[in-house]
Amino acid sequence: MEKVLMAFAAALAIGLTALATAWVQSKIGSAGAGALAEKPELTATIIILVAIPETMVILGFVVASMILFGG
Amino acid sequence: MIVKMSKVEIAGPRELLEKVLYLLQESGHLQIEPSTKGFIEKKDAVYIDSFLPDKGTMSERFFLEDLKGKIDELFSYLPKIPIKKSYIDPRPIIDTISETLQQHLLSCREMSQKKDTLRKELAELDRYNIFLDSIESLLNGLRRTPDTDLIGLTLRDPESVELLNKFLTKQVEGKFDLRTSTASDGTIVGLIAIDREMSDKIKSTLSDKDIPEFKFPFSFEGLSFFQKIELLRKRITGICSDIEALEMQLDSFATKWGSIYERVREWIGESLSVLNAAGSVFETRMCFLIYGWMAYEGVDALRTKLSSDFSGKVVLEEMEISEEDLDRMPVILKNPLYFKPFELFTKILPLPRYSSYDPTPFIGIFFPLFFGMILGDAGYGLILISLSLFMIKRFKKKIYVSDAAKILFISSLYTFLFGIIYGELFGDLGHRLFGLKPLLVERRTSIMPMLYFSVTVGVVHILLGSFLGFVSAFRRKMKREALCKLLNLLVIICILFLIASLFGLFPVLLTRPIVLAILFLSPFLLFAGGLLAPLELMKSIGNIISYARIMAIGLTSVLLAYVANRLAGMTGDIITGIVVATLIHLLNLIIGVFAPTIHSLRLHYVEFFTKFIEPGGRKFEPFRKEEEISH
Repeated sequence: MEKVLMAFAAALAIGLTALATAWVQSKIGSAGAGALAEKPELTATIIILVAIPETMVILGFVVASMILFGG
Repeated sequence: MIVKMSKVEIAGPRELLEKVLYLLQESGHLQIEPSTKGFIEKKDAVYIDSFLPDKGTMSERFFLEDLKGKIDELFSYLPKIPIKKSYIDPRPIIDTISETLQQHLLSCREMSQKKDTLRKELAELDRYNIFLDSIESLLNGLRRTPDTDLIGLTLRDPESVELLNKFLTKQVEGKFDLRTSTASDGTIVGLIAIDREMSDKIKSTLSDKDIPEFKFPFSFEGLSFFQKIELLRKRITGICSDIEALEMQLDSFATKWGSIYERVREWIGESLSVLNAAGSVFETRMCFLIYGWMAYEGVDALRTKLSSDFSGKVVLEEMEISEEDLDRMPVILKNPLYFKPFELFTKILPLPRYSSYDPTPFIGIFFPLFFGMILGDAGYGLILISLSLFMIKRFKKKIYVSDAAKILFISSLYTFLFGIIYGELFGDLGHRLFGLKPLLVERRTSIMPMLYFSVTVGVVHILLGSFLGFVSAFRRKMKREALCKLLNLLVIICILFLIASLFGLFPVLLTRPIVLAILFLSPFLLFAGGLLAPLELMKSIGNIISYARIMAIGLTSVLLAYVANRLAGMTGDIITGIVVATLIHLLNLIIGVFAPTIHSLRLHYVEFFTKFIEPGGRKFEPFRKEEEISH
């Protein structure tokens, strides 16, 4: 039972943060696509902006790893 | 690296100003400052005025601007063909050139207008071309008697043909010949041969039934159908040959005169640039004064050149750089050969201030390292080395592609090196085939050690960034900011020690002194950094954890490679296995190039550079010839 709960907690940690990241990236991505249509020279900046919210899922991944393998 | 700059003042007799400006333009080393702010003291300001050009200079300027406008107009009429470079000196013959240009402009304008009119007519006649092409086949074998009239039509769909056939049969009792053909654009073209006496009635009925007759230009009225077709063809051919003749004339004109006018335009550009630069010059009763910035290494050479060319009458003085000047000083980035390609990544960032750091060397050191740590596969490394070498050789002249290939080459070397350390060659294929073993750690199974390793890399990177931020603030003598950065750095180190002692890496006895140290430093941090200081601290901790992506993305790469090999083995057939493995490895390689690039860059731009790079630098824009600028 404990193992199941741990797996569930790890899944929540990575799953929720992945959803949050995806939602934010969709917002930044669509705004970025609009900006690129006007200013193609912003390509690199937009790519970086899209990559910024990935920190959330990375933190989720770290927490999930600690739950599963940290003990 | 940010090149060391000098603040300079050039002074000389007023009559030598034009020659000095030409020399400065030729050397292309000085950025002229149009303002005296920071260059002259308040007590001297009353003796110094902006340089006012005399009447002759003003009329020369208007003359040159007018001439340039005319040459630009002339070139707008000429075809863009490669022209030879001319080395004539236009100055002695500029009046003759001006007169000739007037005549050339008139004739070229006339030819160009004529060409435009013909082109417009051709575009109008072009819609008949589709009809003509289709009608040609329908005319073959058609009876050409004086009693026969021909009606050309365009029909919407095949059903209309059937309806038209029925209608004609009913109207003229079979005394007609209807032929149809499909044009290249899908339109159905129809031709009805009918007795002349019946034709007007049929035309009118067809028009009522919304099947319009094909209309020829109004000027063709009164001609027979065959004559109209023939005339149309002749007119189109005639226009084409007229346009060709005009183009040949303009082409030959461009070949003959293009290089001369191009040289004149270039010379006018240089002269106008000198006249414009004179607007940024200052004068006293007897002398001119030019203030500006230039690279320190070029000062002696320019000083000697000015002194020797003007027999010591023009002098260059280096001025003292004050604290306020640091914000105004233009920035030149100059890097050694190894770091040069990495300027590709720093170009998308705003220019750093003169008192800050050039981000290029940092990105040159850490980017390939992070790339290698993430991808870390000897097989992928070898493929990328070959690919980058090919790109370097193939795209020598395309600077951006060549730079990107050089970055890929360096990063691939690190990928190969880390591949050996991790014991990976196309995932676990190296182990299966050659018994390749990891030198230090196996990424696929050592998840927590790799996570600690990645975060440790983050600790080193962020601490280095924070330390450089402290040094930068200290150099600018911003005491409070420097103190805040130093305290921030110390608190981060204390927190890291605390975490390490809680994890058993340091003696537990150290926990209490470390907590006390954090409590002791916190009020000072709040005093130096304000209420936002704790937030900044948390941001730094978040930044360090963000480096876990090095391990996370690396893990996805190694697992995908592992899956590729496992799937290939499961197929049970050697050829299918090779195909499956190649496809998945290829996919992994493509992802493996983009993901580490984006994430390594992000770690630099977002986590590292924000700690110490101060954006907002002023670009160095020396006074030089346009030709050199375009290079």
